[in-house]
Amino acid sequence: MWHWEANPLNGPAVLGMVIGGVVILILTLLVVMYSIYWQRKLIGWIQWRIGPNRVGPFGLLQTAADVIKLLIKEDVVPEKADRAMFLLAPIIAFVPAFTVLAAIPFSAHHVFTANISIGALFYVALSAITIHGVMLGAWASNNKYSLIGGMRSAAQLISYEIPLGLSIVGVVLMAGSINLNDIVEAQAKSGLWYVIPQILGFIVFMIASTAELSRTPFDLPEAESELVAGYHTEYSGFRFAFFMLTEYVYLFAMAGLFATLYLGGWSGPLLPGWLWFAIKAFLYISFQFWLQATMPRMRVDQLMSFSWKVLLPLALVNIVITAVVKAFV
Amino acid sequence: MSLIDEKDQVRTEEMLLNVGPQHPSTHGVFRLVVKISGETIIDAEPVIGYLHRGTEKLAEDLQYTQIIPYTDRLDYLAAMLNNYALCHTVEEALGLEIPERAEYLRVIAMELNRIASHLLFIGTYLLDLGAMSPFLYVFAERERIIQLFNELCGARLTYNYMRIGGVKWDAPPGWLDKVRAFVPHMREQLKMYDDLITGNEIFLNRVRGIGVYDTETALAYGMSGINLRSTGFDWDLRRKKPYSIYDRFDFEIPVGKNGDCFDRYYLHLLEMRESLKIVEQALDQIPESGPVLGKVPKLIRVPAGEYYSGIEGARGELGFYIVSDGKDKPYRMKIRKPSFLNLQLLPKLLRGQNMANLIAILGAVDIVLGEVDA
Amino acid sequence: MFGFLKGLGVTLRQLPKKKVTLQYPDVRPEWPERFRGVHRFIPELCIVCNQCARICPTSCISLSGTRDANKKMRIDTYDINFDICILCDLCTEVCPTEAVLMSDTFELATYSRDNLYLDMHWLYNNELAYEQRHPDRVPQTAGEAKEGEA
Repeated sequence: MWHWEANPLNGPAVLGMVIGGVVILILTLLVVMYSIYWQRKLIGWIQWRIGPNRVGPFGLLQTAADVIKLLIKEDVVPEKADRAMFLLAPIIAFVPAFTVLAAIPFSAHHVFTANISIGALFYVALSAITIHGVMLGAWASNNKYSLIGGMRSAAQLISYEIPLGLSIVGVVLMAGSINLNDIVEAQAKSGLWYVIPQILGFIVFMIASTAELSRTPFDLPEAESELVAGYHTEYSGFRFAFFMLTEYVYLFAMAGLFATLYLGGWSGPLLPGWLWFAIKAFLYISFQFWLQATMPRMRVDQLMSFSWKVLLPLALVNIVITAVVKAFV
Repeated sequence: MSLIDEKDQVRTEEMLLNVGPQHPSTHGVFRLVVKISGETIIDAEPVIGYLHRGTEKLAEDLQYTQIIPYTDRLDYLAAMLNNYALCHTVEEALGLEIPERAEYLRVIAMELNRIASHLLFIGTYLLDLGAMSPFLYVFAERERIIQLFNELCGARLTYNYMRIGGVKWDAPPGWLDKVRAFVPHMREQLKMYDDLITGNEIFLNRVRGIGVYDTETALAYGMSGINLRSTGFDWDLRRKKPYSIYDRFDFEIPVGKNGDCFDRYYLHLLEMRESLKIVEQALDQIPESGPVLGKVPKLIRVPAGEYYSGIEGARGELGFYIVSDGKDKPYRMKIRKPSFLNLQLLPKLLRGQNMANLIAILGAVDIVLGEVDA
Repeated sequence: MFGFLKGLGVTLRQLPKKKVTLQYPDVRPEWPERFRGVHRFIPELCIVCNQCARICPTSCISLSGTRDANKKMRIDTYDINFDICILCDLCTEVCPTEAVLMSDTFELATYSRDNLYLDMHWLYNNELAYEQRHPDRVPQTAGEAKEGEA
C-alpha cells in the first residue's frame, strides 16, 4: 500500500496517496506553525525581548491564535480589483509550495516521498509556478504598491532561480542522479556530505535560496518601509494567510532541499533518519532567522546585478570544476 | 488602446505614488507625492502640515514660562534642547545671570538628549533600510536615558525642565552617579553598533554615494547641523558661537567628506561619542551644590525689541526669534526649525533616483514632523 | 569584504543577554518620585488663589470658591480637563500651599471623553490612593498643615 509509486493505480494505492498527502499537510502545518513561533522567539531573544509568551504555555499556541484570527476575518476584496484573479492568486501561489514537498525525502524509509526520478528538477520547476500567483495577485489588487512589489518579486525570483538551479547541478553531477533519494543515498554511501566538496555551490545555494524565499536581506518584494507590504498589501484574512503559508511552506521545503543536497538528508550516525533530517532542516531555518535579525535590505538594482554578475558566474565555475574533477580524477 | 506608441516603442506610463501620510517610513505624518516611471523617480513633492499646531501663534498669547511646555512638542525627540533654546533667548534678552550648577545640569541634560535623539535616528534609519535589530538595541539604550530624565524632571518625553534663569529641579540624590555609570556603558554600545552596522556591506552599498550634495548647495538651502557638516563644512554653534558653558569643554566636531547618506549616518555615531565626552567633563566640573534658579522677576517682561539666538540642536541650528513690545508675552515669536530647512532640498535630491533610494535619502535627512510642521 | 560576518557575531552574542521586556499589566513600572502623572488635590490646603488656573498654558483648570464663616477662602469646585491637560507641572510649581500635586497615576485611557473631566473628588481620591501606595512619600507638609489648620 505504501509503495504506491511502483504499483498500478488501484484502490489501496489511491488511499495510500490520500493518506500520505493528508499526513504531510498536517506535518507541514505544524512545522510552519512552529517555524513562525521559533522565528519570533529567536529574533526576540536576539533583540533582548522575550517573544510570544501569552497564548498557551510559553506562547506555544500564539501562531494558532493568529491563524484563527486570520480565518475569521472578513475576506475583503477591493472594489476596483480584478475579482476572479484576486481570488485565484493565493491558490496558485500555495499549491506548488505544497506539491514540491512530495519530492523531499524526509526519512530513510521514504513512506511519504514520491520517488520521482527527476526530483531536483521537479522542485525547481514547480516552485517557479508560485511567481505567477504572486504576480497575478499583485496585478489584480489594482494597487500601485502591490504592483511594484509583484514586479520586483517576479524579477527577483526569476533571476535567482538560475543560480539556484545551477548550484544544484553541481550536486547532481557528483551524485550522478537527479533523484533526491539517490542523492541522499550517494552521500550516505560515500560518507561525505556534499557541503565539503561542493562548498562553492553551497554558498551560491545559500544566497540564492534566501533570495528565492524572499527573506532578509532579499525581502524586497514585501519591503515594508518602501512598499508597505508589497504584493499582498490588499490581501486580508484567509487569502493573506495563504500567502503567508506559502512563504513558510517554502521555507520548510527549502530547508528540506538544503538538507538533502548538502548535508546528506536523513543520513547520519546513531539517531534515526527523520531526526537527522529534522535537525538539519532546523539548522537551515534557524540560520534564516538569524540572518533576518542582522541584515538590512538590499537595493533592487544591486540585487539584480548581484545575481547576474556574481552568483551566476560562481555557479558556472562550480559546475565546471565539479565536471572536470568528476571526469578526470 | 495600443501597447505600441507612434514611435514604435512600448507605451509606458508615469505613475503617481502617494508615499504617506500613512506610510511606515515617513517618520510621522509626512506626505510625499512621487511621480515615478518604473522605479525611477521623476519628480517628488513633499506635502507638510499634517501636524501643524500653530505653536508660533499660540505663543503670542502665552507668558514666556508658559511657552516652555509648548517647545517640548516641537522636536519631541530632543525636548531639552528646545527648552534651552527658548530659555536662552529670553535670558539673553533680559541679560540674566545663570547659576553655575544650573548651567552644568543644563549641559548634561542637553547632551544626554542629543544622544537619545541620535540613537533614535540610527534605529529608525536602519529600520527603514530593513534591519530590525538595531532599532530595538537603540531603544533599550534610549530607555535608560529616558529613565534618567524621568528621575530628573518627571517626564519621559516632554520634559519641561528648563526655566528662564535656570532649571526647575536640582538633580535628585545619586542621579549624577547614574549618569556617570551610563557613559562607559554607552561607549560600549556605540562600539557594538559600529560592529553591527557600519561594517555591513549591504548597508554600505545602500548609503554610500547616495543623496550627495555639496557645501554650496547646503548653505544655499540654509541647511545646518549634521546635514551641513556631512559635506565637509565645519560649522557647529557650540564651537563657532559658544553659548552656555560650551567653551569650557574639550570636544571635537566630526565633519564628513562626501556629503552622502553614509556620512550623515556616521556623523551621528561620532557625535554621540563627543557628547559622551562633554557629559563626562561636565560631571567632573559640576559644583557640588548651589542654587539652580537665578534671580528672576516674578513676571518676566522682555524689554521691547527684537531678539534672536540660536543653539546647536540635535538636527541643526535651532533658533528662537522673539519680537517683544515690553509686555509679558511675545508680540511675535518665530522658530528657526532645522528639520524644516533641511527638508527643502529633498525634491532636488530625489529626482532621478531609484524608489529604493527614496527611503535612504529621506531617512538620512533626519526630520521630526513635530518640528517641520510646528 | 566580510563585515557582515562581524554583524552576525554581534547578533549571536546578544542571545544570552538579559531581556529588557517589562511584562506591563502584570509588572507595573516603578515611577520616580518626581513623575508627572495625573494630579492629586488636597482641598483643605487650597486657598483659592487661582494661580494654577492662570499659569496653565492650555487653560484646563477651572475652580471656584467661597468665603466661609471665618472669612477664609474655601474651595468649592476644582476641575481639570484631561482632554487638554499636557501634564506640564506648572500648576504644582506655582501652588503656594502645595494643594495640587502630581501623582504616579498614568493610565488615562477611557471610553468616553466625559471621563477625562476630573473633578475635586476624583482628584482627592487620587491623593488618598497615592498616600496608600507610597506611605514613605506622604508629604510632611500636608500633615502639618492639617494640624495647623485644626
